[in-house]
Amino acid sequence: MLNSWSPFSYIVTNLARFIRPNEITFSGVNSSMPMLACLLAKRAYEWDYIYINVAGGVDPEPTMIPLSSSDPMLAVKTASIFDNEDFYDLCTRGRMDLTFLGAAQIDGEGSANNSVIGDWHSPKVRLPGGGGGAVMLPTAKRACTWRTEHSRRTLVDKLDFRTSWGGFHGVVTPIAVFQKRADRLALESWHPEVTLEEVIERTGFTFDASHAKPTDYPTASEKAALQSLDPDGQFERDAAVSIRMAAQAAP
Amino acid sequence: MSSGYKSDDKNISLEALVANVPNGASLALGGSFLHRGPFSFVRELIRQKKTNLEIIKQSPGYDIDILCRAGAVKKVRAGIVAMEGNFGLAPSYRRAIESKAVELEEHACATLTAGLRASAYGVPFQPCGGLQGSDIPGINGWKSIEDPYNSGGSVWVIPAITPDIAIIHANEVDRHGNVRVYGTSHWDRIMSRSAKTVLVTAEKLVEDHIFTDQPEMTLIPYFMVQAYSIVQQGAWPGSCWPEYEIDYPAVEAYMQSTDPSVLDRHLTSAPENLGVAHA
Repeated sequence: MLNSWSPFSYIVTNLARFIRPNEITFSGVNSSMPMLACLLAKRAYEWDYIYINVAGGVDPEPTMIPLSSSDPMLAVKTASIFDNEDFYDLCTRGRMDLTFLGAAQIDGEGSANNSVIGDWHSPKVRLPGGGGGAVMLPTAKRACTWRTEHSRRTLVDKLDFRTSWGGFHGVVTPIAVFQKRADRLALESWHPEVTLEEVIERTGFTFDASHAKPTDYPTASEKAALQSLDPDGQFERDAAVSIRMAAQAAP
Repeated sequence: MSSGYKSDDKNISLEALVANVPNGASLALGGSFLHRGPFSFVRELIRQKKTNLEIIKQSPGYDIDILCRAGAVKKVRAGIVAMEGNFGLAPSYRRAIESKAVELEEHACATLTAGLRASAYGVPFQPCGGLQGSDIPGINGWKSIEDPYNSGGSVWVIPAITPDIAIIHANEVDRHGNVRVYGTSHWDRIMSRSAKTVLVTAEKLVEDHIFTDQPEMTLIPYFMVQAYSIVQQGAWPGSCWPEYEIDYPAVEAYMQSTDPSVLDRHLTSAPENLGVAHA
């Protein structure tokens, strides 16, 4: 095949495509894929942007790519330390153009559950919690998230708990890219190796797909940038993303 | 009695430093996830069999997990808890919350900071931006108030959070107890200003002039620091930039199983226990 996506490159590259020239863009803790997306955008695109991160870095030049997305490596060659209180305050006063935030469950309005599966007071599974989400999702100009599993238990009609409200601007999974349209997530594009029907079948909320089309393949410079960030494929192996989980047979 | 700490006897052993913590104390722990946390201090809390601790930290991971594993915790106030990297959830913390052995006060990181700010500013509560539509204020009973200056807006207010002790792992201290860190200070600054007292572990004791040459590099002035201990590799198995990176094999060994022998081996193999630690 001349051109293709791996599930891993699909998520990282499509996250990077939400980054815009000259905007302030933030990646945080527990966010390896957004970290890679931010570094990819720095290398793949002809324009530049303002990259800040939870390690305090401002346009850092890491000499290796760390496993931890809060690693001090992400502040190498920074000319200032913009620390935790700084970037939260920046966000609440309305100056964060784009932030990446994690989510365990996402609903059709783009709200997130990062807290529990089951009842909050008697959880079946206690999840990590939302970190900055509840404060950043409603106050950032745009927020994007990712999910390595695309299923009716991750993309849900109703959240078990609403950790953060405010509506993600973008959501990327191994098979789809959603973008906010009229206060709901709409399908923007789908992985060219799956069908629209499969995306609908595997999504717990209803969505508008009238503008959707198969996702454009990665460009040569996007591929080269990701290759340079993960030369031996370690991040890709560690992420272990697949288009379908074992229980999800191809239709 | 003075409001500050002026003493020539602040440099004490890790054992003596940790002996300052009473059972049931609320502790704000510095650092974030596996980075520059006061982890030798945390392990010494376990060796000294402290109980009923309240842990306050925006993004704990290894520290809350090992303290839950040892049964030292009664309550945690946190925004996000994970081991990060490829390790995912913090398993002993998760079990402690699911079994209700430990009480969780769930925050957004910035609401915990707001509570600490209220304490640092000497006011009963602190407004915090965002939070619209979140279920978190409801479970905590937080209030939203109208802008008293009639802008028509409203804001959530977070009650003050005053830790009994802030515990910081630093790169350097001088003999008086001035504190310097390299790289991001995480939330260490606001923790030190909000707590009733500050205890410090540091990689290095340096000459006075290192601090006086560049006073703007000092995170915490000596008079806020009750005592400190020099503990090389005190953030192990986490990182302490630029001294050392995360010791991933050690974290992996810790995560291998929840068998008590694994925890024992981990505590035994820690740098502060191997005698390399005391400068």
